Amino acid sequence: MSDDAQEIIGDYKYGFHDPENSTIRFDKGLSEQVVRDISELKNEPQWMTDIRVKAYRHFVERVMPEWGNCSLLNMIDFENVTYFLRSSNKTENSWDDVPDDIKNTFDRLGIPEAEQKWLGGVTAQYESEAVYHSIREDLEEQGVIFLDMDSGLKQYPEIVKKYFGTVIPHSDNKFSALNTAVWSGGSFLYIPKGVHVEMPVQAYFRINAKNMGQFERTLIIADEGSSVHYVEGCTAPSYSTDSLHSAVVELIAMDGAKIRYSTVQNWSSNVYNLVTKRAIAYRNATVEWVDGNIGSKLTMKYPSVLLKGEGAHAEVISVAYAGKGQHQDTGAKVHHLAPNTTSNILSKSISKGGGRSSYRGLLQVTPKSTGCRSKVVCDALILDEDSRSDTYPTMEIGNSTADLEHEASVSKVSNDQLFYLMSRGFNEEEAMGLIVNGFFEPFTRELPMEYAVELNKLLELEMEGSIG
Amino acid sequence: MMYHQMPIPTRSEHLWRYTPWPRIHPSKPETVPKADEVIFSINGPQELIAVPHSQKPQGDIARAFLQATGGSSSRIRLNDEMEAVHINARASGHVAVGHLHLEVKGSAVVFLHISGEPEWVGLHITGTIHPNAHLAFGFINELDSNTKFLRCEDWELERDSSLEHATLSVGGFRCKSDLRTSLNGTGSSVRQSITVNADGSRHDDEHVEIHHHHGHTQSDLVMNSACGGSSHFIGTGLLTIAEGANKSDASQVFRNLLLSPNARAEAIPELEVLADDVSAAHGAASAPVDNNQLHYLMSRGLDPQEAESVIVNGFLYDAFSNLTNKELLEEMRTRLTVHLECELKR
Repeated sequence: MSDDAQEIIGDYKYGFHDPENSTIRFDKGLSEQVVRDISELKNEPQWMTDIRVKAYRHFVERVMPEWGNCSLLNMIDFENVTYFLRSSNKTENSWDDVPDDIKNTFDRLGIPEAEQKWLGGVTAQYESEAVYHSIREDLEEQGVIFLDMDSGLKQYPEIVKKYFGTVIPHSDNKFSALNTAVWSGGSFLYIPKGVHVEMPVQAYFRINAKNMGQFERTLIIADEGSSVHYVEGCTAPSYSTDSLHSAVVELIAMDGAKIRYSTVQNWSSNVYNLVTKRAIAYRNATVEWVDGNIGSKLTMKYPSVLLKGEGAHAEVISVAYAGKGQHQDTGAKVHHLAPNTTSNILSKSISKGGGRSSYRGLLQVTPKSTGCRSKVVCDALILDEDSRSDTYPTMEIGNSTADLEHEASVSKVSNDQLFYLMSRGFNEEEAMGLIVNGFFEPFTRELPMEYAVELNKLLELEMEGSIG
Repeated sequence: MMYHQMPIPTRSEHLWRYTPWPRIHPSKPETVPKADEVIFSINGPQELIAVPHSQKPQGDIARAFLQATGGSSSRIRLNDEMEAVHINARASGHVAVGHLHLEVKGSAVVFLHISGEPEWVGLHITGTIHPNAHLAFGFINELDSNTKFLRCEDWELERDSSLEHATLSVGGFRCKSDLRTSLNGTGSSVRQSITVNADGSRHDDEHVEIHHHHGHTQSDLVMNSACGGSSHFIGTGLLTIAEGANKSDASQVFRNLLLSPNARAEAIPELEVLADDVSAAHGAASAPVDNNQLHYLMSRGLDPQEAESVIVNGFLYDAFSNLTNKELLEEMRTRLTVHLECELKR
């Protein structure tokens, strides 16, 4: 690897890229024809083509957000993005059949090994489409549907048509419009009534090509009384030019269902990560977003929950690490739309080396939602003088019986804590690493073991050389 | 920029999210009415000097509008004042506007009472607190319950100066306040307390900005609101700590007590921290009157209404408890008591 490349990649261990062997690659740039071509290529029903075109027109008309990091957002060149790239002609269900170069990538990421050990199902997406997909037989027998989204649309068009865009309509924001217009890949997961999926199912998203746009679309429906844990991981090679990742994730938790959605986002620092994630929780349902943001250039992601049924509960745990040149603009939104709904939001962020982390949150209680309770805690650590931390919380309270709390603090690592650990024999860097891992502990303990270990390793790498 | 050159702010700017500019403007946003003067009078020997209107371009639409409408413009110089200075601002006519600049070079306690029945009142207060000077400032809004009120304040604090700022907002029908303080010198500090009691369909939007431009500066903001009827309270805060402003200590607390099913409250305490060696925290809470507290008081012989009133009064008084200037604290609590007693008699 050249010195220049090494400089760009830095400590990012997933910054390698494999040669591009695409079977279909669209020219850069976006037009209505590109949108129609994607739909035609996938042989989609007319209603989906119509939705795509409508969304494209909305995307063109919609102005860029006028809030957040506008200077970075306005640097996105939508004409310099490849909107569709097919690397493999079909989705395989055996790793042996996946093209060697792609399999090689996922081997290096440790996905096949993890699948054998502890996963209920896996989808691996490479560029625009899934290249590998599998689900454990026992889950399939119980009626669990776990497919990549393209196959989901082909095999279960009725279910997809019923729920697609109902949680996040294309007109929600500019990037949800873009995703709806050019979406490709993602996961489709349906858990039948009363089925509890004990082992997590996982999707792994990898961008390999330069100036690539990845627009996966995920739809998860947990029917009454069911439960599932979905885990996603994301990486990309480091290039000097930017890539765009703009996903839409819709979750629907029916009465008494439970969905936990965990993300460890570790895009390289040339990726714009502009994601819309939202869930609807019906009566007594629980939705949990466990969201870790380590990589990317700019992340704007605010997992949301609409608590629509009485007794529904939302839990959002998010951590963000903003290193050099990164802005992690993350947060959570909870809308209490029904009585006796509850929510907890815990947000932790670290800024280092000139990075910027922002918490942007919304807590809303509508007038008819009596007896709602919510607690929001935001903690931020700033590790050096060049970094920055912001907190933008919003509480809109329309019901007098609501009991809501928000607290936030920004500080540096306490010298007392460092001193204590150093007096026990750790050097300063180790002591700092321990404190940072401890700071993120409420997040890591919610992750499956392998992810938690991986996250701690990533943090150690990111923290390397942070002292002195 | 001048008012006519400015675009109407959109609701994506949080300052104008809940009270958009057209809602607080006296008529249509494109018009600039000729305002009557808010008459300032003073009870002490200090002199209020009429001064020409500032022609400095404004960065904010509300300030630019107040500048464009004219009205009265006065200045007062305060050195070491032995007794509290009471300034009465009397507004009359259809649209009334007043500008007041305070120059503080010693220790002073100032109360500004605003009253009157115009349809619309605008007030722009600016203040410079020189090195080592200390100002305790109480603002009492007793405008008529049908008046729309726009208030902007800009405070500049120099090295080792301090400002204790208290607001009692009980008047006006629709109020929008934009209070900004810049801590420009090391060792400067601001303590700010805002108490809002809203009833009927009153709408009160209080925005507070505190900017720590230098290190070793302190700020402390407490905002308590009690909302009854179908009133709507909005508290937004922006606390910034500039790069290099190390050893700054900043805190803001927003509390809302909702007393009726149709009352609404929003709290947006924002933080922007660009320095690492600081202590910055904020908290916001919203809740109904605590049933345990009600039960306790009722078990002591109070009826439910009295018990609730005791709790609400205590909650509102509490906003002023971070003030250290005794005179300011007592006067603000007295004014609050008078207001609450009047409310009770109604």
